[in-house]
Amino acid sequence: MAYSEKLIDHYENPRNIGSLDKGSDDVGTGLVGAPACGDVMKLQIKVGADGLIEDAKFKTFGCGSAIASSSLVTEWVKGKTIDEAETIKNTDIAKHLALPPVKIHCSVLAEDAIKAAIADYRAKIAKKDEAAE
Amino acid sequence: MDHFARLGLPAALDLDSGALDKAYFAGQRQWHPDRFVAKPPEERAKASVEAAALNDAYRTLKNPLDRAVYLATLKGVELPGDGKTIADPDLLMEAMEAREELQEADTVQAVDGLAAKVRSDVDTALNGLGGLFLANDKPAIRKALLRLRYLDKFAEEARARRTNIERANSERSGA
Repeated sequence: MAYSEKLIDHYENPRNIGSLDKGSDDVGTGLVGAPACGDVMKLQIKVGADGLIEDAKFKTFGCGSAIASSSLVTEWVKGKTIDEAETIKNTDIAKHLALPPVKIHCSVLAEDAIKAAIADYRAKIAKKDEAAE
Repeated sequence: MDHFARLGLPAALDLDSGALDKAYFAGQRQWHPDRFVAKPPEERAKASVEAAALNDAYRTLKNPLDRAVYLATLKGVELPGDGKTIADPDLLMEAMEAREELQEADTVQAVDGLAAKVRSDVDTALNGLGGLFLANDKPAIRKALLRLRYLDKFAEEARARRTNIERANSERSGA
């Protein structure tokens, strides 16, 4: 099977591998998995005071397409607002990396991971606002 | 016809491995293509369909995890298929931490140690499934099977990691 250059580049030189402080109020963590293939993906965002995502990290145990999908998403979300980041669709990821049809589910995992990270961040903010009232 | 019925065995998690083999070999003889060479095409076609279904049933029931997953689907437990994601934090955190440990293990001994622990976790989880099936506790069955999938994947990755370390070691000593 032929993989695109972009996919191979993200797989061989993944961007933003690592972790952010899960306990920090300005960090949202998304942890998702695809049990059918045993993949597990962690994606984290750090949101600045201006509401823009200033950093993003990921750690993925899975196939090359799953690693490339999460690497791409961390690159895409930096500098975006969380509302903008939330609009990322798995089809955009799959198209950009030219994922073969059998690997489309890897991009679904990456979309779910960023959504979960945003949901986690929002829940933290809501809790903080509640405590402040 | 379900896999258990095809092999004439009770649909249960505990299965007599000898009885399974015996039923399979009997079925194989019954549907063997050699016995159908002189038969009309529709009978030959039926025999080949039966033989394929028999192989499928045997493969599924022989493997304890595949058998448990199959039995669970018969009981109406829904498991996420290809491309479906889950967000269960306990389960995924455990899987993530285990894979991180494996990534850091750089000797065959360290990998074997992790693999042995996971094997015992698999045994414990498989043993626990019996009670969950008896109680027909579907959410617990689902959770246990998802965890077993990740443990199974870990075992596969541990074997690959072990092979890589051994290869690197032998290249080093050969150089």
